[in-house]
Amino acid sequence: MEESVPVWELRNVTKRFPGVVANDSVSLSLVAGRIHGLLGENGCGKSTLVKVLCGVHQPDSGEILCARRPVVLSDPIAARRAGIATVFQEFSLVQTLSVAENIYLGRLPRNRWRIDWPAMREGARRVLGRIHVAIDPDAIVGELSTAGQQLVEIAKAIAANASMIILDEPTTALGPDEIAELHRLLLRLRDDGRIILYISHRLDEVVELVDEATILKDGRVVSNAAETPVEIRAIVRKMVGRVDEHFPKAANATGDALLDVRSIHTSNRVAGASFTVGRGEVFGLGGVLGSGRTEIARALFGVDVLRQGEIRLRGKSLKLLSSRDAIAAGIALVPENRKSDGLFFNFSGHENISIAGLGRITHGAMLDHARERRLAHGLIQSLRITPTAGTALVGELSGGNQQKIVIARWLFAEAELFVLDEPTQGIDVGAKIAVYQLINELTAAGKGVILISSDYDELLAMSDRIGIVSRGRIVAIRDARSLDKADLIKASADREELAA
Amino acid sequence: MKRLVSNQIVGPLAALLLVAVVVALTTNRFLDVGNLSNLILQVSIVAIVAIGSTIVIFTGGIDLSPGSAIALMTMVFAMAIKFGDVPLPFAILLVLLIGVLLGAVNGVLTAYLRIPSFITTLAALSAFRGIAFMFNNGSPVFSVHPKLEPIFYGSLLGVPLPLFYVVGLYALAFFVMRYTAFGRTIYAVGGNPQAAALSGLNVARTRFLAFVIAGAMAAVGAVLMTARLNSGSPNYGVGMELSAIAAAVIGGASLAGGRGQIVSTVIGALTIVIVQNALNLNAVPTSAQNVIIGAIIVTAVGVDMWRGEIGRALAFIVGPLTLPGQKGKVDQ
Repeated sequence: MEESVPVWELRNVTKRFPGVVANDSVSLSLVAGRIHGLLGENGCGKSTLVKVLCGVHQPDSGEILCARRPVVLSDPIAARRAGIATVFQEFSLVQTLSVAENIYLGRLPRNRWRIDWPAMREGARRVLGRIHVAIDPDAIVGELSTAGQQLVEIAKAIAANASMIILDEPTTALGPDEIAELHRLLLRLRDDGRIILYISHRLDEVVELVDEATILKDGRVVSNAAETPVEIRAIVRKMVGRVDEHFPKAANATGDALLDVRSIHTSNRVAGASFTVGRGEVFGLGGVLGSGRTEIARALFGVDVLRQGEIRLRGKSLKLLSSRDAIAAGIALVPENRKSDGLFFNFSGHENISIAGLGRITHGAMLDHARERRLAHGLIQSLRITPTAGTALVGELSGGNQQKIVIARWLFAEAELFVLDEPTQGIDVGAKIAVYQLINELTAAGKGVILISSDYDELLAMSDRIGIVSRGRIVAIRDARSLDKADLIKASADREELAA
Repeated sequence: MKRLVSNQIVGPLAALLLVAVVVALTTNRFLDVGNLSNLILQVSIVAIVAIGSTIVIFTGGIDLSPGSAIALMTMVFAMAIKFGDVPLPFAILLVLLIGVLLGAVNGVLTAYLRIPSFITTLAALSAFRGIAFMFNNGSPVFSVHPKLEPIFYGSLLGVPLPLFYVVGLYALAFFVMRYTAFGRTIYAVGGNPQAAALSGLNVARTRFLAFVIAGAMAAVGAVLMTARLNSGSPNYGVGMELSAIAAAVIGGASLAGGRGQIVSTVIGALTIVIVQNALNLNAVPTSAQNVIIGAIIVTAVGVDMWRGEIGRALAFIVGPLTLPGQKGKVDQ
């Protein structure tokens, strides 16, 4: 390997916030034509570092160099001018404007007083063509899929001639095919001589994609690009700082039937799904995005009403017309998007935990605050949630603790069947392991678990049996130990073609 | 929860005390017994109407209609007594029923037909006043009944009756919001309606009931207003909705829903009324008063939103000293 000269360099960047050193003397070299992974648990200082690089935060000390010259990124506009483009989890696109307008937003081409529409369209078409993206420049951004919008965001960066593109958790909302397409695009951009700084919790993706990686822990670099082997186990060890089983699966499945789903249909994608879940069992649902996995969960939770078929829990046929009915029957849903669908940010941990089971703490119409505190506190202890969670507003907690609060809510409501939709999305490795242990505790207590996950390693390791979903049906049910990742990808793809 | 309650009340209360002290020091007649009991009379109607407005705001909605609803109900109340010879207790019951009905109209349109509350209650603001003008050819009804005025101007043990109404209704509202599942549900629905629905709460019914409560509070306001002026008029209650919303907002209720304390609303209402009273005593013209009230609303919300920053700036100047209310709210 030839000696490479860094284009962008951070030297001993330190950023303090009241009470915490978010970045402690962080140094980082970013070389043209490399994809650089930035890894670490939540709260390790990744986000702060990204914000320093895109001009949102100013470092307290240390310097940023571009081509060996110190630069000051005084605000996001300065950072953009310097050639740094950031694709955040929440896009910076205007939903109601066209793709071309978004790509040229803020610097629309003009001839004298008017916008030069033909030049703008042509320019947008050229940029999209250069990165092999087949999106119509006249399409309205709000009508594109999440994946499509992300590609537009990247096209915008290319059009602005960015030398470095930062992607912060770009794949959380994407399916496997879309992730693969994104990765192909990033590889092309890398070969084009651009720098990609890639941030993701999905280590399986990271090791497939990146050329080198820096690991942060408690605001410090614990392993720089030269020291980090691009290999999952080694990365986990450095991130978490201890060697733990990554997937601590406990087999608690019993033959005791809990849930029996018989050929259910809804008007939202579910078309004849049948499966069973036993007490203590984790039943995984695999399949691509849009296969109907999430919709099966919605049907079980009474959000989408059955048109045909039957759901039986503990041998009793259920008539689910709303979530209320499902909750009353003992079914819990931990939704995919805990921020928008799960948490009450105006509530403390105790109140978040009790909200689905207020019946347990009311006498007549009266709330029993003491009983609420006692029961919720017990769950906070037994789920090993941080002790401050009880009285703190949930917005102050880490992603992992927030997810545990949502799960605790359903233990409070005394649910029997837990539907977990992407329960570890966007939380760090340590918290993921805690969620897996929690799944083990649920099954050990004889609860049934339905696990939906796009992380195939997780799905394979944590499930007892896996049902492959395609076009709203379960097309195959296998023992999880008899499958590997390749089988799962192939099975869902094959069945897709088969059904087509 | 304890921390939440105390901090959300401490801020508005400190502001109220500051205003009261400044006014007491600068205005001679402010502390006269006559003036103080006059303050209670002035604040009572707005404070009661604002209970309803605040509860609607807690659910994430807004109610622009109570002023017009009050006009309508003062007409019905006055005419029922004067021309219909309806006995007083029944007339009060009738008005309460109409209040509930008007609230239910807003509630059905907003909660079940899912039209934004800003629109439905804006429409109601217009429509209710229109209906008020349909009674008695649009003319006010004067000298309704000699027994009416004591409802407002009477006193018990030397304490003006309106103080009992205000304290009683706020105590009830506080109890409901803090100690019942319904109150908790209101905060949940305002905080995150999707999560509330997925937690098995009945979001539509909760929103509906909030408007019904607002209608009932407007009815109480209408009875008191008719009693106070011994008349009903389609022109009563103009701007009442804005005073009520201002009271809620100055009291710290978040227009985004889910945050705030009902008791703080009465603090907000008192703040406005004390400022108005001081301006009156100092002979400031109404036009200037309105501008000053506007400035107070913006300042109150601004201080609440920038509390963290102001706290840090002050801490920087004063040294490591924690300010009350500094940590009450968290940015998300």
